[in-house]
Amino acid sequence: MTDLAAPQSAARPAGPSALKIGAWLAAGLAILPLLAIVWLALTRPSATAMPLSLIMRYGLTTAALGSLTAVAVTVLGTSAAWLVVMYRFPGRSLFSWALALPLATPAFALAYGYADLLDVAGPVRTALRASFGSDFWPMEIRSLPGAAFVLSMAFYPYVYLTARSAFISQSVCALEASRTLGSTPWETLTRVALPLARPAIIAGTALALMEVFADYGAVSFLGVQTLTTGVVRAWSVYGAPGSAARLSLLLLAVAAVLLWLERSGRQGQSFGANSARWRPLEPQPLQGWASLGASLFCLSLISFGLLIPAGWLAYRALSAAPEAERLVQAAMTSFGLAGIGALVTVVLAALIAFGAPHSHRIKRLASLGYATPGAVMAVGLLAPASLIWRGAGSGGSQTVALALSLLILAYAARLMASALGPIEAGLARVTPSMDRAARTLGETETGTLRRVHVPIAKGALWTATLLVFVDVLKELPATLILRPFNFDTLAVLADRYASDERLAQAAWPTLLIVLTASLPIIILSRKIMQSRPGE
Amino acid sequence: MTTTLTLDHVRKLYGAKAAVDGVSLTLEAGKITCLLGPSGCGKSTLLRLIAGLEPLNGGTIATDRILSGPTFHVPPEQRDIGFVFQDYALFPHMSVEDNVAFGLKRLSPTERPKRALLQLQRVHLADRAKAFPQSLSGGEQQRIALARALAREPALVLLDEPFSGLDAHLKAGVRDATLEALRQAGTAALIVTHDAEEALMMADHLALMDQGQILQTGTPQDCYRHPVSLEAARLLGPTNHISVMVVNGIAETALGTLDATGLSDGPAIAILRPEALRLAAGGANAEVTSNRFAGAESWIGLRIDGASRLDLQARMPTLGSPPIGTHLSVILDPSACTLTPV
Repeated sequence: MTDLAAPQSAARPAGPSALKIGAWLAAGLAILPLLAIVWLALTRPSATAMPLSLIMRYGLTTAALGSLTAVAVTVLGTSAAWLVVMYRFPGRSLFSWALALPLATPAFALAYGYADLLDVAGPVRTALRASFGSDFWPMEIRSLPGAAFVLSMAFYPYVYLTARSAFISQSVCALEASRTLGSTPWETLTRVALPLARPAIIAGTALALMEVFADYGAVSFLGVQTLTTGVVRAWSVYGAPGSAARLSLLLLAVAAVLLWLERSGRQGQSFGANSARWRPLEPQPLQGWASLGASLFCLSLISFGLLIPAGWLAYRALSAAPEAERLVQAAMTSFGLAGIGALVTVVLAALIAFGAPHSHRIKRLASLGYATPGAVMAVGLLAPASLIWRGAGSGGSQTVALALSLLILAYAARLMASALGPIEAGLARVTPSMDRAARTLGETETGTLRRVHVPIAKGALWTATLLVFVDVLKELPATLILRPFNFDTLAVLADRYASDERLAQAAWPTLLIVLTASLPIIILSRKIMQSRPGE
Repeated sequence: MTTTLTLDHVRKLYGAKAAVDGVSLTLEAGKITCLLGPSGCGKSTLLRLIAGLEPLNGGTIATDRILSGPTFHVPPEQRDIGFVFQDYALFPHMSVEDNVAFGLKRLSPTERPKRALLQLQRVHLADRAKAFPQSLSGGEQQRIALARALAREPALVLLDEPFSGLDAHLKAGVRDATLEALRQAGTAALIVTHDAEEALMMADHLALMDQGQILQTGTPQDCYRHPVSLEAARLLGPTNHISVMVVNGIAETALGTLDATGLSDGPAIAILRPEALRLAAGGANAEVTSNRFAGAESWIGLRIDGASRLDLQARMPTLGSPPIGTHLSVILDPSACTLTPV
């Protein structure tokens, strides 16, 4: 042996890496608005404007809306998934991805479409009166059940997608074992398949409910006062940040519960999946009426969730010339915001995925942002912003720049978790020993990231960007609260037309959103359909 | 002989538990050392410490400079130590050629493919250079992983259970190819395995490890013939053991006396390899209690007549092996026996 002096230049003590610090910062950004909410709720004096009885009513309405929607999306999404996975019937392969398409429709688009279509003076009821002499339409769409119907049609795909992947990941072995033990197909569904898929279904329902509670455009248009509309009203009508924050705090509590449900659902999802003896399910052909029924069921879900309302809006839109200049301006704004928002969000999410791949704490912080309604996020961001505002003075361009950064930050804080999901799935192909292999082959930590992680997760990074892009395009409440004056996105423009009862004009920006969002949603859902467990 | 790497009282703690507990070991250039131990004994942790993938808590790891110590740590990319992972860890987004060229940053861009191809030729896979890892068989993937680790011409290459993922009928071929490639490269190699036969066949030096500690080092023959303890003996294959008393340098057993020179008087354990028991006249009387067929050889259970019941396992050619119930005479081959103090 030669000289054993430690070469200090090459040696370094192990400490937290720059990537890990970046991950904590990203998660901190997601949690910052929520901390501001708590601070606001505790420090601002109780405003006279919003009485407790009103808050109570908002809460009860929200609870009722949530319960109705939860039941509907669970039943509809699970049934559709079971049919598509287990049976062969006309249109099955088309339905299997098309059932996810309503994700491209913002809930307010459905609300506009149905409200107009089923109005007393609308075509359906006019036709009924003409044929039967009386108008016996049972359900008012501008009501709590009406809103529940609209939101169920908009959000059932969350349950459909999670239930479908749970059913697919169930090995045929488990189901065949059940059959050989004497169970009928129906018993196999209720005794084996549903219990196995239950965690995934709960997770899907929790996701759908997060969207329901976050919705502003649909419920406000249908005249249903929820906690979220309450937050927006408290802020914009009553000018009471304290009340807005206290309502937000309620919503945050609900969000935390949903998040917990979704998490525990997802943890349970792994059982049964990826077992060594996994064999794909072979769908059984359906005969006669059953086959027709299955096709009709799937078709009606897609029709009610997308085709009918979007078709009616298109019909109405064609009856009026668009205000082209405003529309183009809003479209540019929307695409620009969605593009920048998606980039920023994906970069932050990638920091978390790369920098803290095993830290559940960081990911939980990020997902709390996802469960938080956009309106709450906006209120939470405005509090610290108003401090800066006051400090900086209100220079015109500075104010706009600050408002826009806040808006991007709100998108990032809210959508970081939804970008994190696909990125993590993509990184699942990077085994720990690949990391180590790169290091023993002479790569540094960042070099390994650049040459191994990023190329392997490239597809996933694009998927995440598309997802966030679509979500920002559909976003309404946070944009409404945070946008600079006269800065309209397509969603804001639609909301302004709709609240002026100019539905034909509202249809134009709404349809633009649906069309733009459809393409990524089609690409993504087809991609999901092709993937199999273990790949 | 030149020393390539020295481990001096290396310790690694996980919480309060020592996964590696005071290991000292020397690896020599051009020699293959096998680290044999049961799963969970800390052998894979030891490999990761050597590669610099984890910091250690005590002791040092050094080449001609110190690589790891309790307060300093050379990062893995600066160590010049190759690693072949148990799951191979081939990069799925790169072709076989690009995988092998991954670590060749110090070569010029024009040199890299040439070196990669040369390495692939050495493992007889040059024709798969453009393929992607997923399309290769397990044995081919293993050889690519080896070629990738050797491409940088490291002073030392570490192999973590390199054959554990392979089907039995592939193992022998891949093992020979691995040995050939290692010899050709002339680097020091440390192979971790839990398979005794594999270790005995491949090693120039053997290190037996259990519960974070090295039990014995030496040539395979030496370790097999002269285990220092019952635990060490068991790692290298099935054993019989008999409690004996040493009196004046001689141990008396039911099967005859054993030379116990160097052992102090008192209780000891005689460790008998299964092949130490031979059928021959003039030995102890025994009854055959079982006869399990295992191909060319069979396992024979023997009950030795005597004051206390003594059941032993012998291994002998299947042809002419005695059926159950046979009474016969058994003698002991002292060269396949070891005595250790209790």
